[in-house]
Formats: sequence, C-alpha cells, structure tokens
Amino acid sequence: MSYGIRLKVWGDYGCFTRPEMKVERFSYDVITPSAARGILDAIHWKPSIIWVVDAIHVLEPIRFQSIRRNEVGSKAPAGKIKSAMKRGDLGGLQLLVDEDRQQRASTVLVKPAYIIEAHFEMTAKAGADDNEGKHLDIFNRRAAKGQCFHQPCLGTREFAASFELITPDAELPQAISESRDLGFMLWDIDHQAKDRPSLFFRAMMENGIVRVPPPDSPEIRR
Amino acid sequence: MSILASLVRAYDRLPDAPPFGFSSEKIGFLISLNDDGTVAHVIDLRDGEGKKKQPRMVLVPQPVKRTAGISPNTFWDKTSYVLGVTAGEGKRTAEEHAAFIKYHLELLEGTGDAGLLVFRRFLSQWTSEQFQLLALPEEMKDQNIIFALESERLNRIMLHDRPAAKTIWANASGSAASATQICLVTGEQRPVARLHPSIKGVWGAQSSGAALVSFNLDAFTSYGHEQGDNAPVSEAAAFAYTTALNRFLEKGSKHRIQIGDASTVFWADAENIEDAEAAENLFSCFIDPQAEDAAATKKVGLQLERIRQGEHLDEVEPALEKGVDFYVLGLAPNAARLSIRFFFEGSFGSITRNYQQFVADMRLDPPPRDVYPPLWRYLRETAVLGKSENVPPNLAGEWMRAILSGTPYPLTLLSAVLMRIRADGDVNALRVGIMKAVLIRNFKREAPVALDPEDNNKGYLLGRLFAAYEETQRAALGSKINATIKDKFYGSASAQPRKVFAMLESGSANHLSKIRKQSTGRYVNLDRLITGIMEKMNPADDPFPASFSAEEQVLFGLGYYHQRNEFFKKTTETTEAAQ
Repeated sequence: MSYGIRLKVWGDYGCFTRPEMKVERFSYDVITPSAARGILDAIHWKPSIIWVVDAIHVLEPIRFQSIRRNEVGSKAPAGKIKSAMKRGDLGGLQLLVDEDRQQRASTVLVKPAYIIEAHFEMTAKAGADDNEGKHLDIFNRRAAKGQCFHQPCLGTREFAASFELITPDAELPQAISESRDLGFMLWDIDHQAKDRPSLFFRAMMENGIVRVPPPDSPEIRR
Repeated sequence: MSILASLVRAYDRLPDAPPFGFSSEKIGFLISLNDDGTVAHVIDLRDGEGKKKQPRMVLVPQPVKRTAGISPNTFWDKTSYVLGVTAGEGKRTAEEHAAFIKYHLELLEGTGDAGLLVFRRFLSQWTSEQFQLLALPEEMKDQNIIFALESERLNRIMLHDRPAAKTIWANASGSAASATQICLVTGEQRPVARLHPSIKGVWGAQSSGAALVSFNLDAFTSYGHEQGDNAPVSEAAAFAYTTALNRFLEKGSKHRIQIGDASTVFWADAENIEDAEAAENLFSCFIDPQAEDAAATKKVGLQLERIRQGEHLDEVEPALEKGVDFYVLGLAPNAARLSIRFFFEGSFGSITRNYQQFVADMRLDPPPRDVYPPLWRYLRETAVLGKSENVPPNLAGEWMRAILSGTPYPLTLLSAVLMRIRADGDVNALRVGIMKAVLIRNFKREAPVALDPEDNNKGYLLGRLFAAYEETQRAALGSKINATIKDKFYGSASAQPRKVFAMLESGSANHLSKIRKQSTGRYVNLDRLITGIMEKMNPADDPFPASFSAEEQVLFGLGYYHQRNEFFKKTTETTEAAQ
C-alpha cells in the first residue's frame, strides 16, 4: 500500500526523554517512533486514520548538551480545579512556585534532523466517505503549506520542530554513515490497554537508518 | 546501548558481584550470641586507628529504602533498631526497636534452625537498659550491627550467612511480587521494581544514598503511573545496575575519579580481564596521572608517553585498539537525585584518539611545571580564588564530554578563563593552554605552540609587544616595583588596546632611554625586539583596534606568554653561558 509519506523534521534542540531518566532528563539517541507519530499527528490527524512510522533517517551526527532549568515539583491538581469550578470560587487554588522549586538538568540533542518515513491506516472509526487517497492528499497539502493543528515538537513542547515535505520524486538527503545498536527504545505507549503499558523494541541504526517494526510485529516487546 | 543496559552488562562481568538480594554495607560492630540468647562478645569490625576508624564493607541482605517511615532491615540494622539505643536524643528509638523485634519474630515464626532460634531468644530477652549493664562501648551507638553465633563466629559465618536465614530472606524479598511488565533494560516480562536501591558514594549527594531513577514528586510522573511504573525496570535489572554502580563508586575502586562536581565512573568491557584492567588504568592516567602513581607500572608509564607523543594505539598496544568497549559515566548530585552529566560509550581506540587530540590542543612550549597536569588542576584555573568548589557547575561535565567525544569545547571555558585573568592577572601556562585549545577546536584557528616570530596576527603581536614593554619597565626600574604595567593594564590592553597602547609606548620610550644610559647592549636587544614586533604590523590594517574579540584576546594572552617566557629562557641561557 503505497500511501506512504516522507517528512523532514529538524530543530535547534530535541529531547526524547528516556522513561527511566525522566526527572533528570536524558534523551534517546534518535527520535522515538512515538515522537515521530506525534509530529505527524500535529500536521494532520482524524479519528479515522492512525499513523504508523516505518523508518527514521538520521541526518545529523548525534550530539548532546546538558542544560539546567528551574522547574516546579507539582502538577496542576485536576480534582481541585474541578471542584473550584463547581464552587465558582478560586479560594485555595494556587501554586506557589518559590516553595516548590526543583532544579532539573536535561541532556538534550543538539541540532537534530530526521526524515520520517511513515504511512497511515484506516481505523474502525472511518466513515463511508473516508478513503486513503483523500487523507493522503490532505496531508500532502498541509505539509507543503506548513499547516498544523499545533506546532510539532521534538520530544518536549519547548523544542519546536520545523518540517518540510519530501515529494515522492525528490531525492532523499543523505543519512549519516553510522551503524550502532541503540538498545531498547520506546516504540509507543499502548493507550488502549489497561494501565497504559509502554512497548519497547530493539533499535538498530544501520548507516543512519532505523527500521521501526510495524504494530503487530513480534519484535515489539509487550 | 543505554546507560542502565551497559551497567547491567558490567554487573554480569564483575568478578565478585554480590548475589541478588545482598549488598555491601558499612558495618561497625558484630554481636556474637551465646546459645541462650545472651550477648557473648562485641567485636569492633572497623579498620583504622583512632578517629579515622572506617566501618568495614560486609555483604548483608539488601537494606530497605527508608525515607521518613520506620522499617527494619533483615538480620542487621543500626543500633536504634537493633538495640534500642542511640547517641543522640532519639525521638522514636523505642518504636524503631519494637518494629525490629516484631518484624523478626514474625519472620522467624516456626523456624526450626538452631541459630535463628538463638536470635529469637536474644530478641525476646533484650532490653535497652542492658546496653549500660553490659558496659558496651559508647562508640557502638548509631553504628550498623550484625549478628553471629558465638560457636560460628570464629568460622566467620554470620547469622545471615546461615542457609536457613538465606532461604527466609529470599522468600521475604521475593514475596512482594508486583505485576509483571516488560523491562526496558532486558526486554523481558518480569516483576517490576517499585523503588530502586540507592546509589551511595557520589560526592555531594546525601549520605544515605541518592537515586538515579526516581519519581517521588507529582511533576515527575506521567499517565497516572506511580513510582517505578513510570519506567518499568525489572527487580533483577534494578539490583544489577545499582550494585555495579555502587561497586564502581566505592572508595579505592579503580573505577572512579572526581572531575569538578561530577563523580565519574568508567569501566571497560573486553574479552579478558587483563585488557579491561589495562584500558582502565590507562584511562585514569589520562585524566589524573597522580592518582594512579602508586599502581602505575613502568609499562603503563611508557605506553602513556608514547600515546601522548601521538603514536597510534595500534602500535603501542594493539590489543586495546579493537575489542575493548569503554564506558564513562559522569554523575552529579542534585538533592536526593543523581543527574547524569555525560555518558560516553565507544571503543577504547576512539577515546585514546580523542585524548591525543586534546593533548595536542593543549600543548605549549614552555610547558607548565608538570607537563601533563590532571584535569582538576586545569579546572581550578577557572575558579574564583582557585578553589575547586568554585568551578562553574556544568563546566566540568561539558568539558569532559567534549574531550571524550572530540566535539567542540564549551565556550564557558574560554569566558571563565578570560574573566579570571582579568581578575587576578595571572597568565600562567595552564590558562593559556586552555585558551589555546578552545581557539584551535572551536574557532578553527591555528595557534602556535611555541613563540612564532613570523606570526602577524594582531592579537598575537600586541601580546608580544605588551610583554616587551613589561620587560623594558623591569629592566629600567628593577624587579621591585609595586605595580608593573601588567598589573595595571593587562585587562584593558587585551580587551581595548587602542586606549592603552599609546600610553604604554610613550612610557616605554622613557624606560628605553634610561636603559640606554645604563647598559647599551640590553637597550639594543630590547629596542630590536620592539621594532621587530612593530615591523610586522601593517598601518593600513588597524593594528591597534578599539576592541578585541575573544579569539584575539586569546592570541594576546598566547603572545604575551610566549614572549615573556623568551626572556626567562634568555636569562637562564646567559647564566649558563657565563658559567
């Protein structure tokens, strides 16, 4: 099914946080398939399609940099906010940043650039007039124009991504010539299953290209 | 491979790794028990003399992670749990002691083992007053205590070494089985660790241990997961990586080095142990030669010399070039957490090449007093008052990463050194070396190693000129001046030459005329030097700019250093010639 697309994404920094190094963030070496899917979702997504990432080409050498930021330790309390909304009064709803400071260091990727090869498949929610060609056209148009629902990001929202569509007849930029075993990488999170388990796969980079297994592949550890 | 995966692999290769469920802890005292449960002897397990008594590392069942609650360890703990006494006030010593007794009486319910029954009797009849009655030593308070049967003590069998005790411990630690998930380190379906064991030994972190993987606050959790579910790591993998890391961080292990605020551990992965140890020895000599002085054999010293001269590792020691994977991990403390400053994995050959690049960048003639100083000495040059704790925080980690991977140096290095020079006026070999290295690698400029009379870069020439003016002043007025032109004008001459050099030129004219009347030969040499430098300047090319960029300030410092050391060289040569 040749409803595949190729998208070049790049940015100044990227942080694809490893799940175990979530507090003092440490990025994976390359973009995760779930982050790539997130970029595609930002450009075009409807409940009737689901994006599946096929391969990732790494265009720039993998470099890291460490930055330190002052953040806070708590999240906005959803329950309290709801009850404040019902009450109609803001009393007690506050976050005093100075009492909740957490200094966290992040090790981020410097000037990452990737080509995402992906395709989409129709889901059960596809209606009668939904077909692949239509969605592909919409995506190509939006990507060429630079249209998106929200700015795509490289891992975390503060690292914005720029994107550019690579048409089927255009030549692909050259990937780096490194080959490495990247260890177990996050494939995606199974939001449908109970407890939202994370799914992992063994990522191998060959000449700068990482092949991502399809969703029903046995390579994905679940 | 990821950090945790490579640590788990290192654990598998540790020669004497603690088995699952055990860890090495600092134990102070041993209490041996008679068969009826009374105390037979109290033995001090600490090494050393007087105030410097260090508790011994003993393999004991893994301690529970305690933060604010009361939870006893199995078969050992500190005195407030075990005996109910502490040195200080101890607000809840009684509860802690009661918890210890209760936990063990439940644990040992129905056991038939003789040794464990002795322990039960001890627990049932011990009261904290007995501490005074038996006149047990005061320094025992707040130490960790282990137990042994008097009959087995001389065979060095502790209570927790008994087979029955081991079985009970294995069952107890295994019973808290959580739901299995895919472990992100091994990729297999295993029970997931809720809390990871603590890492001890990182400089600056809490003494009770810090966590590499932790999710103790709301902002750190995602998707409603709690604690360890945020990052599923199996119990076995969590035990393996923390044990390996703790072993590497131990005092006196040949795997750790302190660089700035980053405790750095390094380990090699090779087919045979000798290659791995050789690589680790060499690496620690790259970073800090003095640390390995006692252990450095002639062979390592020779290899090091050849490597520093630029020989390819293939020729020096071919076994280390391929087939040795090397890992370096820099950990810095952040409250109760550990932050990873850098992680490098690659072949030992690539590390050696990057080290050689670093040495070549730093090379200066004349070299600093010890030709290849350790990294911390360089870092001290960037700190206020030269104190290690004032080194800018991220700098050590970023610099180490740049050295190991051959990437450009952090520019903070350059700005820190320039600021220090402006503050205390000390242009020494270490600082000039750092600046030169940054210039070569980051700005891709060529910079001379020794004095280069042909170089006509503006910054370099003005630096040499400044050194010449300083020497002229010294020759005219003697060495006992309170403030030379360097003390007063170095900062402004290097940053804004146009303001300053006119004044310096007229001052030097006066100095030169004085020298001419005292010693014509000296005058001729100095005058020739100054004209030689000025000859290289091109009037059309703005030889005295209004301000210098950072790169040109570096070349100014370099020129100053080279020229000034020329004068010292000359004086030693003339004294030698005179002799």
